[in-house]
Amino acid sequence: MPHVPTDPDVYEVFAQNGLGKTLGHVGSIVSPCPDAAWHLAKETYGRRDDLATLWVVRRADMTVSGGDDGDLLAAKTRMPHRQPGFPTARRRDRSAAASSPAAVILPTAAVPPAAVAPPATAPPATAALPATAASPATVAPPRFRDSAPPERRDDARGAGGSELSDLWLLLADDLFVLGNRLGERIVDYIDLEESLAVGSIGQEALAHAGTILVLSGFDQPAADAWFFDRPQGRWRVSRAIERLTDWPSTVACGLVIAAAVTVLAERTVAVEPGEGWLPAITAVRDEQLVHLDHWRRWARALAAFPETRAEFARAYAEVTERAGDMFGARPQGGSALAVTLHERFAALVGENGGPGSRMPDRPLARTAGVGGSALAYCLSRGRMVRDDYAPGVFQ
Amino acid sequence: MAMAIAAGHRRYELWDPMPDEVREGARRFATVQALNELVGVLPFAEWLDRAPSHTRRQMLMAKIQDEVGHGHVAARVAEDLGMPRERILQDYLDGRAKVHNIFHYSFATWEELGPGLLLMNSAAIIQFQSLMKGVYLPYARALRKIEREESFHYQHALDLTHEVLTHGDAEQRRRVREGFELWLPRVLAYLGPPDTDTLHANRMWLIGLKPDGNDALRQAWLNKIIPVFLKLGVHVDPALVRQAPSGEWEFAMPDWAEVKKVIAGGGPASQRRLDWVRNALDRNTRYRRALRGVS
Ligand SMILES: [Fe+2]
Repeated sequence: MPHVPTDPDVYEVFAQNGLGKTLGHVGSIVSPCPDAAWHLAKETYGRRDDLATLWVVRRADMTVSGGDDGDLLAAKTRMPHRQPGFPTARRRDRSAAASSPAAVILPTAAVPPAAVAPPATAPPATAALPATAASPATVAPPRFRDSAPPERRDDARGAGGSELSDLWLLLADDLFVLGNRLGERIVDYIDLEESLAVGSIGQEALAHAGTILVLSGFDQPAADAWFFDRPQGRWRVSRAIERLTDWPSTVACGLVIAAAVTVLAERTVAVEPGEGWLPAITAVRDEQLVHLDHWRRWARALAAFPETRAEFARAYAEVTERAGDMFGARPQGGSALAVTLHERFAALVGENGGPGSRMPDRPLARTAGVGGSALAYCLSRGRMVRDDYAPGVFQ
Repeated sequence: MAMAIAAGHRRYELWDPMPDEVREGARRFATVQALNELVGVLPFAEWLDRAPSHTRRQMLMAKIQDEVGHGHVAARVAEDLGMPRERILQDYLDGRAKVHNIFHYSFATWEELGPGLLLMNSAAIIQFQSLMKGVYLPYARALRKIEREESFHYQHALDLTHEVLTHGDAEQRRRVREGFELWLPRVLAYLGPPDTDTLHANRMWLIGLKPDGNDALRQAWLNKIIPVFLKLGVHVDPALVRQAPSGEWEFAMPDWAEVKKVIAGGGPASQRRLDWVRNALDRNTRYRRALRGVS
């Protein structure tokens, strides 16, 4: 974990050896006061050089990464779309696939793909929905637009039992809608740092939704069809999604969804899931814990501030009441597993969201077709461009 | 301490003594940039919920986050120079600050998005590469980060354009070409009026905050971007832009009176942008105060 070192008299030294060179860490010194530290640093690290810049920082004023923070520091493996070479690699992979014998025939190209060939330095190909899993078996894409929707899959293996698998698919839906809503919040300018935070949490929510589908055996066209072409009547989101409206409700929704994913991930990790699930779900859990912490800070702030206290209390009560269906995968909603998960979930929500939760004692069943205007809007907007194009154009 | 550089200008950190003109100029540049990033992202943000696949939505969301991130780093530079971040959007709402002409329009179609973004991103890259050479170092560093991300956005825009041109139908491909013709004059105008012979009397040039003139940037930009569209198979109408045998680019001069009118708030989306920002601040200001714990 990133930590704050405590040595009070130690100063870290950053120097630049000339204009155009980078400012880099060169070492540290011990000094009783900041002024003396700077002069000592110059004598220690720059006495034979003409330095352009010398910055000295008290070690205790720094927050530094540790040796086990590699995962936090790395670019996210479920977020290849953020990597600089992604668009070029994706285009190259697609044109390679198009020229292979099994390729789907697409409308005639206006220009040969080679016209904008990627540079030779493009990084290795990255899959759009990378299987952190070792190549899970893929299923044929459900084609909601061309034929009757397939039955919900109940044969997904690997999560350590089909009820867990069902729950993961349901939470993937919640994560997808939440991720989209948070994406819209980037330009809501609550605060600039918050814009960046919801941008990352939103992208991670979408990435987690995608990861869950890959682990459940979906390939990429199937995942897109699942999220974009399935009619609302076939979604079974949590009723909390209906309250994904103003900011206090969004905070409450973010909190309950992060808590639910965390609980399910903990359970999944504990039952020794199938190959591929463990690293993926561990990473999902770690990221969701960071989200949970983010929403906890917001919940505390909104609950403590006189101007927002009542508004947040109302949103929190309504969202927690509706979130009682989070683990109600089965119509009766009350399997032993569901009850265990629900109890842990209710406790985690209370710990993080504070008092005022109206979470029911037992899990309620999820029902199809809920989600209200929040889901309806998300789905109808998502189809506007997609429906104008032939199937398979967008990947 | 500030150091002399080859061009004869000193360069400054925040805490270096510097002429008021440099401090104020840097604050103004960073403030203008922050505003234009924060408002300039809105035309693309309007398309996020229509992005037609999981991956496409992730890519567009990442771009939108980057753009707001550019607004954030520019606002931090401005804040350190005494411009409170709240005032950046407030001045825009009060009519004291304006955004560039290109941000007074919306994208009418998905097909227009790719070529529009390609033109804008490439122009922004050229502009930032120039401003990066400026004498105020915190702003130069912010621009270095911003410019790097703009190059990702350029690749993203190329991918968007290529996808429609390769897999779209004839009508969709036609809309890409129309998008190019619609946005080219707007982005030509974005790079600013001709310098005539005033550049070297321009204070910002003299103090080293604006290293290159508008005309040089426009030529460098056309030199880079027109071949890209030709390679994509987009017809480039010589009445809009053409290369003279000398290598110099000739183009239909924007109607500067019209551009001025647009910037003053007379563009098709001018009011829409203001409304969005006003509503967002009305809705959300109390939440920001809650986070900071200030009434
Ligand atoms: Fe930007």
